[in-house]
Amino acid sequence: MSEPTATAGAVQRLWQAVIGGDEHQAAATVRDALAQGVSEETLLLQVIAPVQEKVGVEWAAGRISVAQEHAATAINERVVAALAHRPGTSRPAPERGRVTVACVDGEWHALPARLVAEVLALHGWRVDYLGAQTPTPHLVAHLHLTNPDAVLLSGSMPTHLPTAHGAITACQAIGVPVLAGGRAFGPQGCYATALGADRWAADARAAAAVLAAGIPRPGASAIRHTVDDLPHLGDQEYTLVAQSRTRFVKQTLADLEDRFPAMRAYHRIQQERTAEDIAYIVEFLATALYVDDPDLFTAFLTWTDGILTARGVPARSLRAGLDALAGQLHDFPRALKMLEHGRTALTEHATRPVPGPDIHV
Amino acid sequence: MLVADRHGHLVRLNDVARLILPDAVNGARLSEQVPAWLADAHQRVIATSPPGTAPKISHGAIGDRHFEAHSTLSEGDVAWWLVDATDRRLAERALSDARHRSEVLSEASSTLLSTLNVPRCMEVAASMAAEHLAEAAVLIAPPQGRRCSLTYACRGGHVVQTSRQVDVAGVPGLREALQGFPPVPARWINPADIPDWAIPDGFAGSVGSVIVAPLPGHGVPAGALILLRSSTEQAFTEGEEVFARLFAARAGAALSAARLYTEQATITATLMQDLLPPTLHTVHGVEYAGSYRTAKDHERVGGDFYDVHPGAGPSEETLVVLGDVAGKGLDAAVLTGKIRNTLHALLPLAEDHEHILNLLNSALLTSHHTRFVTLALASVRRRGGRAQLRLTSAGHMPPLIVRTDGTVEEVDTRGTLVGALPAVSARTVKTVLAPGETCLLYTDGITEARGGPLGDELFGEDRLQRALAECVGMPAEAVVERVQMLAAQWLGNGRHDDMAVMAITAPKAGALSIVNGYASGGPSGRGGAGSE
Amino acid sequence: MTHLPPSEFTLAVRHEPATLTVMIGGELDYGTSGDLLNEVSQQLTAGQPPPADVRLDFRELTYIDSSGLTALLMIHRRTSALGATLHLDNRPARLERMLHLTDVLDHLTAPPTRTGGWQPEEDDGLTEAGMT
Repeated sequence: MSEPTATAGAVQRLWQAVIGGDEHQAAATVRDALAQGVSEETLLLQVIAPVQEKVGVEWAAGRISVAQEHAATAINERVVAALAHRPGTSRPAPERGRVTVACVDGEWHALPARLVAEVLALHGWRVDYLGAQTPTPHLVAHLHLTNPDAVLLSGSMPTHLPTAHGAITACQAIGVPVLAGGRAFGPQGCYATALGADRWAADARAAAAVLAAGIPRPGASAIRHTVDDLPHLGDQEYTLVAQSRTRFVKQTLADLEDRFPAMRAYHRIQQERTAEDIAYIVEFLATALYVDDPDLFTAFLTWTDGILTARGVPARSLRAGLDALAGQLHDFPRALKMLEHGRTALTEHATRPVPGPDIHV
Repeated sequence: MLVADRHGHLVRLNDVARLILPDAVNGARLSEQVPAWLADAHQRVIATSPPGTAPKISHGAIGDRHFEAHSTLSEGDVAWWLVDATDRRLAERALSDARHRSEVLSEASSTLLSTLNVPRCMEVAASMAAEHLAEAAVLIAPPQGRRCSLTYACRGGHVVQTSRQVDVAGVPGLREALQGFPPVPARWINPADIPDWAIPDGFAGSVGSVIVAPLPGHGVPAGALILLRSSTEQAFTEGEEVFARLFAARAGAALSAARLYTEQATITATLMQDLLPPTLHTVHGVEYAGSYRTAKDHERVGGDFYDVHPGAGPSEETLVVLGDVAGKGLDAAVLTGKIRNTLHALLPLAEDHEHILNLLNSALLTSHHTRFVTLALASVRRRGGRAQLRLTSAGHMPPLIVRTDGTVEEVDTRGTLVGALPAVSARTVKTVLAPGETCLLYTDGITEARGGPLGDELFGEDRLQRALAECVGMPAEAVVERVQMLAAQWLGNGRHDDMAVMAITAPKAGALSIVNGYASGGPSGRGGAGSE
Repeated sequence: MTHLPPSEFTLAVRHEPATLTVMIGGELDYGTSGDLLNEVSQQLTAGQPPPADVRLDFRELTYIDSSGLTALLMIHRRTSALGATLHLDNRPARLERMLHLTDVLDHLTAPPTRTGGWQPEEDDGLTEAGMT
């Protein structure tokens, strides 16, 4: 069987296995693919990665449950671990140098980083994988002890960008270059550039290529404040919105209840869902202010709109939420502009689904 | 002062000028009598039209002195007034050198101090030395046993680091520099005395001059720097030697800070090794998973802990412990170490939970404080596809069980906290997990996570139970990750207590563990996702 | 929903014949339980003779964690050593639940004669804050 055919078949089988919570079947799928001559790297990037991607898509579309989503991810993690530690095989001796792979603090989506770590190990790098949500102080302490050639910083949720920025400057300040990756860093890694990352890579293979080409170490001039990269932060809009998040959420909820008295009769859990949705809106708004990109906010809104529609929730509450929020933000011209941008996009979006950041909550 | 005519002939010199140009002959061609720069300047002055618009001042060397020549025109002749500018020029050069050096020193400081990694620090120091002080530099770290760590750098080349056995006595003054005693200044040595190992591979030509400079550390020597220049380059001046000493002082301070940090971090890591939560996996057909987040994100250990002590065989019970020591940080962590060791020793008595709790209680009781621990104990054995559990809470949040129908039960066990009262009592409860069912042990850091969309609510037991209801049939790791994730998202950036969660899961049919014992290892063998 | 506004930790002391009353308000946790222990210890040794009853009043308590309970256990040791009975008055639900969960209410409020079985050894802990 040719590799592409074998790969396509394996994707189908693995998807069925992980979604059915059948770990045994998942393991067998990978074993059979290896027996058919599919390489480990191909398995990681062209079988496991697309299956995991599909898990996110299917969850967003409301076609699988939270439990299935978590179980599938756990099985994929186990499959990756089993692949790395299967008996009778040995990885190439790490001869290329040493790198650290970590997720931004707060980031729970560890599988993309894990895949990168495994692929780099296959390419002959000595990899320290620090896992999901690595607090920046842990990361920095690790770098002091190991002096790697680079840090690969992974993020899936755009809301972690401000934290990622802190991590990037901290790594560079101690002379370690940063290669950013993951959906959080935006289309073509535009936010990676904005936050001053040394490099960006679209996927594990691209990351391997970037590392192979070498990344120069940042010099003493890399020591800087985050506001040096993003002068617009000087207007304090991000800081004030982020600090007052819960106040905005409470006020927006109150305004919504005035507007839709039926909300007062909501079940407590329903009310909490609404509060969480508003909290997300404020958080994404703050992040968009941080990187000064209205598209980040708009992508989140249209994606949320799609999720709500998939779950049969009337999306007018989203629009009403934006209106209520705008009422509290008269002193924030940049934020108001972003809200306006978002409202326009929602109107245009109405029927057209847009892929957005994957939030698996 | 000297005068030359429009045809370029020397007309006359005064007495002072004759002191400077003793061999000059009146009437001869100026270009044959004075240095070229002056003859050229004269040519420019007489060639320009209208006369006098050419630059009036030129400068250059006559003999070993430096002069400025000011021109004045008189009746077609040009009078050149020579002013000795040697001292001013020296002063200017010294100033510019000093400025350059202080820039280099400032750059060296910020680059060196930004890293606390010893090899990186040596690399930076050697490479900057080769760039700014000499053509090549060799940094020798104090010997570890018989071997020395050597860092070689050539200007514009790569830095090479090796560790090898070398005879430091072969370089005059090096042994003293490495010992730091008796105190030695940077010193010149005879290039012929340099052994081959002290010359970097890429060094072109023969060694012309060499300085050995000690790197003074914080009380202990941080190493020594050998600076080399080839015979075609200028030898080191006194000013450069002073500069080298200043540079060495900065490099030494940075290096010893890095070395101190590394030593401390290594000691801490060793001491903490046993305090870190273990990596859990499937044991005798039952899944175990755990996750731990400390109160202070920069610390790795705290007052919560868990352990799984596998039964000797599949028919023996496995003992699971999850506990929470009152207090935070390292103090609490040290006590968790004592508790974990004591419980390990009490394993043979684990068939009676109340008994081992009393023994542990006696071991912890002290007049000095009333710091206590609360514990959840589970003894687990697989029978058929099901897991039999004996559960005991000692002053701890009761375990929760997710049943296949989505109901969540609070296990009805209760007991006294351990370590502060003369005796403890506890009620043990038996239950069975069907395939796909999970028993969750957790610490109050989860339920007391404060935050949420409104910012000031506790996560609480209701939310935890609702979240668990969605976890039917999930593997143990997924349950643990789900709970930790929801609590962490609830917190946002808020302050929190230590948070520990453990799941005991009877696997669903078909969910055989792929590789027993290795399922969470990363590519470098470190802990898997979420273990930190 | 449990709203927990952050509140200042407060202590108020009242002396009556043979009774020491300490009113505790706000959050009794890792950061404040040392203050309570120090205050009660000082009050216990300040007056002569020592009180027969020590009443801790929790009406204004908004929060307590395991460090707070550690302090209560240490206070109990000290009142017992002086032959005084400890009373925990006006217990809010949270404290009640914690005392129930950890099964220490009877121990803390028992008359001093019943504390036997374990007696303070070489020192009674008064010299040490005990909240390390």
